[in-house]
Amino acid sequence: MAFTLYSLLQAALLCVNAIAVLHEERFLKNIGWGTDQGIGGFGEEPGIKSQLMNLIRSVRTVMRVPLIIVNSIVIVLLLLFG
Amino acid sequence: MHPTGLAAAGSSGTTRQPAKRRIPVGSQPGMADPHQLFDDTSSAQSRAYGTPRAPSGLGYPAASASPQAAFLADPVSNMAMAYGSSLAAQGKELVDKNMDRFFSVSKLKYYFAVDTMYVGRKLGLLVFPYLHQDWEVQYQQDTPVAPRFDINAPDLYIPAMAFITYVLVAGLALGTQDRFSPDLLGLQASSALAWLTLEVLVILLSLYLVTINTDLTTIDLVAFLGYKYVGMIGGVLMGLLFGKIGYYLVLGWCCLSIFVFMIRTLRLKILAEAAAEGVPVRGARNQLRMYLTMAVAAAQPLLMYWLTFHLVR
Repeated sequence: MAFTLYSLLQAALLCVNAIAVLHEERFLKNIGWGTDQGIGGFGEEPGIKSQLMNLIRSVRTVMRVPLIIVNSIVIVLLLLFG
Repeated sequence: MHPTGLAAAGSSGTTRQPAKRRIPVGSQPGMADPHQLFDDTSSAQSRAYGTPRAPSGLGYPAASASPQAAFLADPVSNMAMAYGSSLAAQGKELVDKNMDRFFSVSKLKYYFAVDTMYVGRKLGLLVFPYLHQDWEVQYQQDTPVAPRFDINAPDLYIPAMAFITYVLVAGLALGTQDRFSPDLLGLQASSALAWLTLEVLVILLSLYLVTINTDLTTIDLVAFLGYKYVGMIGGVLMGLLFGKIGYYLVLGWCCLSIFVFMIRTLRLKILAEAAAEGVPVRGARNQLRMYLTMAVAAAQPLLMYWLTFHLVR
């Protein structure tokens, strides 16, 4: 059971990469998860689906540049140290 | 290759000679050495007083009878010490200033404001929460009361100590089975920390998705999730003493206690309005919250078993 912090970091990086790769027009709109389809008025309960769509959109916006940096560092380190 | 290698070694050896040759420099006291930053005043003193003192200064190793006293007493090292201590003070200021930007140390201090009675009663509550009636945290002008004064307040002392004790007990258990090696300790600690981090992230994500407005901060959550280490330690120790039967008995008891403890504590934080009335509510929103509380509480015994079963054979 070698579930270490390092593997957690790897998994987190891969998950964030996966979220960043979801294409807005080709994929998310087709399954109804586009960012312009989520406005649901000013009701009290945003609902799980709109929360999830908000989360995906914010992760993609915020993590775009840091992901480039972190991915480059990880690629270089993995090439050097295997 | 070899002759050139030897020649290189020889030449580097000769270039190192001048540095070594600076030791018996008492023959030239007071002369300005280009590598010296300050004037060599002690040799003038020694010449005046005739005491055999090693000439001090940068680059000269002290070789007198009391090297430490001579080293500490001369002005150069005084200045070096003053410079070093001012550097250390500046570094400490820098670290403090930047630490405040990431997480406030004063908030963290609240979680360590415990005393022995609190720790004792809290440990008792963790193992036997069935008779405790009032689970509300008392407030004092909008801020929760320190753990010292209220047994229901979460603290970080018990989880931190329990975590470290768990790693040590895991090492002990592995040692009694001849499976111990020092890097396994680090692996156990890292694994437990990784599970804790994963739990915190999953719970925060689900709290965000279900849009629950609680005053449950991240550190509170870490504190509540860290309480299960107490049961784990008890189980492993009993397993060491009494074998598998003892392990299963104590672990089962502690699992049940942690389950009840988590439900009663989280009910107040997550299901705030429903808990205030004291009746289980049937609305869809509250049902979702109840499911979340049950899921968090049910994950505790599972993790307690998962993190300890390989330690008891």
